[in-house]
Amino acid sequence: MEPELDWKGRATLVDLLDRVFDKGVVIYADIIISVAGIPLIGVNLRAALAGMETMLEYGVMQDMDVKSRMLEVQHRKIKEISLMEGEEIVYRMFGSYHYIKGIYNAWKSGLFYLTNTRLLLYQKDFDQVVFETPLDKIRAIGIRRERSFTGKDRDIIYLHLQEKMVVRLNVLDTQQFKQKLGHLIKKAGITLDVGLPSEELEERTHNFLMAGEKIFCKEKMWHLMPKGGIIGETWKPGYLYLTNKRLCWWYDFESKIAFQIPTKEISAPVKERKDLSTVLKDKEVLDVIYSANGTKAVVSFSGKEIDEWEKVLIRATLKGSQAEDEERETCPQCGNPAPAKKLLEKGCSKCGWVSPHQKKKLEVIN
Amino acid sequence: MTEGRYVYCIVEGAQKAQLGNIGIDGSRVYAIPYQDISAVVHDCPAKPYESKDNEVVKDWVIAHEKVIERAWEKLGTVLPLGFDTIIKADEEKDPEEIVEDWLRGDYQNLKEKLDKVKGKAEYGVQISWDTKVISQVLTEKDEELEKLSEEIKSKPKGMAYMYKQKLEKLLRGKLEREAERYFKKFYGRIKECTDEIRIEKLKKDEELRQTLMNVSCLADKEEVKVLGDELDKINNMDAFFVRFTGPWPPYTFV
Repeated sequence: MEPELDWKGRATLVDLLDRVFDKGVVIYADIIISVAGIPLIGVNLRAALAGMETMLEYGVMQDMDVKSRMLEVQHRKIKEISLMEGEEIVYRMFGSYHYIKGIYNAWKSGLFYLTNTRLLLYQKDFDQVVFETPLDKIRAIGIRRERSFTGKDRDIIYLHLQEKMVVRLNVLDTQQFKQKLGHLIKKAGITLDVGLPSEELEERTHNFLMAGEKIFCKEKMWHLMPKGGIIGETWKPGYLYLTNKRLCWWYDFESKIAFQIPTKEISAPVKERKDLSTVLKDKEVLDVIYSANGTKAVVSFSGKEIDEWEKVLIRATLKGSQAEDEERETCPQCGNPAPAKKLLEKGCSKCGWVSPHQKKKLEVIN
Repeated sequence: MTEGRYVYCIVEGAQKAQLGNIGIDGSRVYAIPYQDISAVVHDCPAKPYESKDNEVVKDWVIAHEKVIERAWEKLGTVLPLGFDTIIKADEEKDPEEIVEDWLRGDYQNLKEKLDKVKGKAEYGVQISWDTKVISQVLTEKDEELEKLSEEIKSKPKGMAYMYKQKLEKLLRGKLEREAERYFKKFYGRIKECTDEIRIEKLKKDEELRQTLMNVSCLADKEEVKVLGDELDKINNMDAFFVRFTGPWPPYTFV
């Protein structure tokens, strides 16, 4: 293997920055000009290069023009990706694609190429097409505003493809991207399902329901995630669902249910107000007490409709304890529905049927 | 206006060499000698180069590197300095004198360093693996993981979620231990064919690849060939990737 210094690659520049800002002979003397500003220069540029993926991922964009220009310059130096016959590049834009396979997921960044026949995401450093779809496989384009864990909101594009596939993308200029893509698709003679409200898109992408499970309530909620390794408790954004079987919370970042408890394990919800972080201050929090492994535990959520949820959960827990009382049965004689307990103890109010056990009791009394 | 001297590197030999207008912002680069070593500089105002424009900073930094590479090529062994090291003049002395004063004061140290890196260069090595593939292999080979993975298949969806979480956690632990094991192994092999090795911070890899190891090595022409062969072996291992950069001026070893 031969060592390389590939100056076209962004990675090599990052290697150079590490050396040139942190290393080299040091002159320990007051004959040197004070270098107060230098650490900042280094950090800014290094963050721009090495952290570009992170920035695209979480939509943390400051001074985008400079950065996008800088990357543009780099990308211009490489030869274009190989196109098919008659294919023309219509538009390019920086962005990332959410890759999920089994338990792994990551945002892959690169350059989106929009051609007259397809949309693809190309990673220059690896000379690899990371995502690709022919335009005619696109069914719908939705945009959702989501909060990243840094607390910043960003637009996520939900691209609905054939065969019920949905992919998530993030780009530098969402509106322009959507417009250009939409325009091209129209030109190709394809009609999209434009009527999809973003709420519906939401439901489609949270695939976790089990057979026979129905959603009673759902809402965007922050959840206090327990300690994991070296990271302490942190509040994460996601969606809380109450179904006929459980209370569960969907973690956006990992696209899965990160917390769940069967409804009957819930004891009581408690409301309080607290600061979730330096950014999220004085928020309403719902602490749900539940049974786990023989002891009680607490799980916390925060969102807009905490009052509503408190009521809903209280009702759900009451229902649980009254379940036996309220369990409905039908009278074997006339078919009149009535609570089972009542039928057995008092008999049917409609036709006067009484259970054999009850009959015996009455005979004894009589 | 030009009372500062921007220092790029130290070179062996008493050179009064002129390297041309290859410096930052096209400055004229030349050498100031003291005994048998010299400082490669350009004249500048006595204030640091600063800019909010990343494009500009990038150009400066690359120019800095190119000057050092040129001096290395034309004049001999170099000791590179970091970006923006500027010696300033004072009221009494000329900037040239101040540079010479410094060379005189640090002479022993600089001579030793020149000796150390003579005929050698710095190389960067990053080894990463495809976590997905390694995880699959681990799940198949490791008893605990395999058993758990099989159990999940027979569980109802609800339970499967919890079991999957357990599997993930277990897998993470096993991956960490594997990573450590490979790190030690590779570190040992690389250390054997280089003069010196320095462990660097792990860098984020763009793919689903996890970086196991990031090191800088000091090696001469012969050692580099052996190193290259060793890295080839590692790169040929399934799901492992090696990134081999260099030759760099020896920033890390001065």
